[in-house]
Amino acid sequence: MAGPLQGVRIVEMGQLIAIPSAMKWLADMGAEVIRLESVQRLESYRTDSLYHNDVEGEFWNRGANFYEQNRNKLGMTLDLSRDEGRAVLRDLLAVADVFAENFTPRVIKNFSLEYEDLRKIRPDIIMVSSTGYGFDGPWSNFGATGPATEGAAGLAYMTGYKDGGPVMSEIPYTDYTAGEHTVAAVMLALMHRLNTGQGQFIDVSQTQTCSATIPEALLDWTVNGRIRERIGNEDPAMSPHGCYPCAGDDRWIAIAIDSDEAWYALCRVMNRPDWAADERYSDVLLRIRYREELDKMLGFETRSHDNHELMAKLQAVGVAAGAVLDSEDLLFNEHLKQRQFYEIVEHHPDTGMPPLPYAGRPWKLSATPAGAPKAAPIMGQHNREILSGLLGKTEDEIEALKEDNIIGDSPLTPRGVRRPSLDEQVRQGRMQRYDVNYAEQVRDWFGI
Amino acid sequence: MTSGALAGVKVIDLTHHIAGPYATKLLADFGADVLKVERPGGDPGRRLPPFFHDEPHRDRSLPFLYLNTNKRGITLNLKSDEGLAILMDLLADADVLVENFAPRVMPSLGLDAETLREHNPRLVVASVSNFGRTGPWRDYKATEIVEYALGGLMYIFGAYDREPLKHALHQAQFKAGTNLASATLMALYHQRLTGQGQQVDVSIQESIASALRDVTNNYTYVGAVRRRQPNHTGDLTRLRAVSDGYVLPNPGIGASLDWQILVDFLEAPELDDPRFENASARLENAEALGEILDQIFAIKQKQEIFYAAHQKRFIYGVIDSPAETIGNPQIQARDYYVPIEHDQLGEITFPGAPFLMNKSPWAVNSTAPALGEHNAEVLGALGYDAQHLAYLTASEVI
Repeated sequence: MAGPLQGVRIVEMGQLIAIPSAMKWLADMGAEVIRLESVQRLESYRTDSLYHNDVEGEFWNRGANFYEQNRNKLGMTLDLSRDEGRAVLRDLLAVADVFAENFTPRVIKNFSLEYEDLRKIRPDIIMVSSTGYGFDGPWSNFGATGPATEGAAGLAYMTGYKDGGPVMSEIPYTDYTAGEHTVAAVMLALMHRLNTGQGQFIDVSQTQTCSATIPEALLDWTVNGRIRERIGNEDPAMSPHGCYPCAGDDRWIAIAIDSDEAWYALCRVMNRPDWAADERYSDVLLRIRYREELDKMLGFETRSHDNHELMAKLQAVGVAAGAVLDSEDLLFNEHLKQRQFYEIVEHHPDTGMPPLPYAGRPWKLSATPAGAPKAAPIMGQHNREILSGLLGKTEDEIEALKEDNIIGDSPLTPRGVRRPSLDEQVRQGRMQRYDVNYAEQVRDWFGI
Repeated sequence: MTSGALAGVKVIDLTHHIAGPYATKLLADFGADVLKVERPGGDPGRRLPPFFHDEPHRDRSLPFLYLNTNKRGITLNLKSDEGLAILMDLLADADVLVENFAPRVMPSLGLDAETLREHNPRLVVASVSNFGRTGPWRDYKATEIVEYALGGLMYIFGAYDREPLKHALHQAQFKAGTNLASATLMALYHQRLTGQGQQVDVSIQESIASALRDVTNNYTYVGAVRRRQPNHTGDLTRLRAVSDGYVLPNPGIGASLDWQILVDFLEAPELDDPRFENASARLENAEALGEILDQIFAIKQKQEIFYAAHQKRFIYGVIDSPAETIGNPQIQARDYYVPIEHDQLGEITFPGAPFLMNKSPWAVNSTAPALGEHNAEVLGALGYDAQHLAYLTASEVI
């Protein structure tokens, strides 16, 4: 049996990450997710980060981000700007348990897809809307990105080096925060429906989900009137605590000393009995007082160590330490391999892509594990299956939809984004480095 | 008439610190009956700063007060036979047990998932741990920064030529807590349909590693290893300093952008240049573009350019401090922050519902429990009389 959510059907009108990532995790666990897109409006995740950086042919079926966010879904194209498209959507909604979307409320209202509209089609439907700032209010129709909501929520302001401005990671971080909360929200709604037979409307504000995860700073303001400033990698209660350079190009280790025992263990591993003997570092308050000089001393010592070897030595004596893993380290990681975290996904033969590993989920359920993963759909892959099999449309009806470009299997105006050569990307600093024999390494490590 | 989505769900909560308590807070705030079981010395989360009016006190940690709303609380020494017996009594009719000890702890107490489910086959045993319950790093120690390093987010976070960074505060813990709530609810859904309990294993490392866009894929697709970004970049969505703060420019979606509209909007004719006219060209000339954009933005004003951009449907963002986000007109209009009356501390303004559910709404009906607040009530319901409670207290079982 694959996943606890078998029998749950979700219609997804999603884009980018916030809704697609959430619906992917529900699909992993057994829900049938029908993902809508259109041949009129090509999603940017189908056009960017292409396999082999190749914009020729059907490149829209080779986008890394699309595959990453849409595993295990059925794919259907539908032009919702026209009545015929919306009529098909209504048919789908009549047999759906959940409708999930992350467009602005303006679009949803224009398409008459608000919760009250949906209830008329399916009284117990669960609708989940994921927006940057919420479905109502003065900013509700403002489009948003992950970085924008990380900024609006208060998280970005506090993140950064001690002597500099706010810093963001290289991913749209809060898209995932919203997605993770959306999974919980849909599960809550499914539980409520089991109890009562009632559907409902879920309004996810990405900003609110992020603010919900930074109560320390928000309450410090509401209760104590204090604004938390940027402190880099420091921790108010630990020292040494930071990210220290190691041997090699751009190699680092994170170390967190959370007790006196850990401090003395660190001194032993670094072979610095003089640090251990120094009264000035003998308890945490003193180590916090001398934080800057400790960080400098420790950073000088770590330079001559391999970060993975040093991590193993420190962990062996109970010190919280972690090599800063780059993407290659992360992919070829023995712990994650034994956990079967990466899953091998076979791509549609038309793509010419080999089977590749993708990150799985952060949970394992013992009795109802996820099933074998299926690749994200190529464009329009399941049009026929859904229209004919699920909705009972005739061949003529399907042909008519195709004729009018209501459905289709390729974009009307394809525009791929070719990234600069890898040498140029490395020169610009977009990439750290690249391997030419990566495909072989991936095959060998994962036994593909 | 509305009720929480989890009305009738009984959760025994052995969690401490942040990740576990955030998961059970999500369950409790949506209606589950959550009984927080603390060691007699209390959840270490009670020592998390900041404190109410900076007064360190086990009932005044602000993160603790936030993380434990709607829970009742008892103390129990799980290393004593009596303590374990009481726990087993509590578990007999529970739906869920949630814990975030190091993976070796529960089995060492005789509380492995199999034993627990023999006792109650319906029980969902939900665990969150640093690296999961299996694998060679199972017993590695971790704190927030170590999870950032080993989850793969840290390497791509920060300035190109400086040390990698982590987010402020405890994002990895909250992320894992959210995932623990989701996975627990999936198991609970299955339990409601079939009567079968099971074990849920959530990893904090994997919580980070499963939410990284285009990181390992960049390697599997083209062999490239991503890095932190250089200071000058023509990435149109890069955070830029303006005269009175910071904004996140974003002129719209990828390849289909009409460049001239952007040139006009920024009042920057120097951008009207073949080097920048399409997405591929902009990637080739990213550094030159980045330098020009830095200069253009330096003379803009935060609110002004934010609202002007949204007039054009450009999806700009602002960087707000805690004070600014709380005062934000959108957040105020949605009544996100909620005043909650605490019987000892008065009214405290908390962050509210992470998402709104119109038929089974989020609600705070009670504040975080004082240490051992519900000992008499809960143990009384199990049949312990006052004399027995006194004995349990004296022998440090509760």
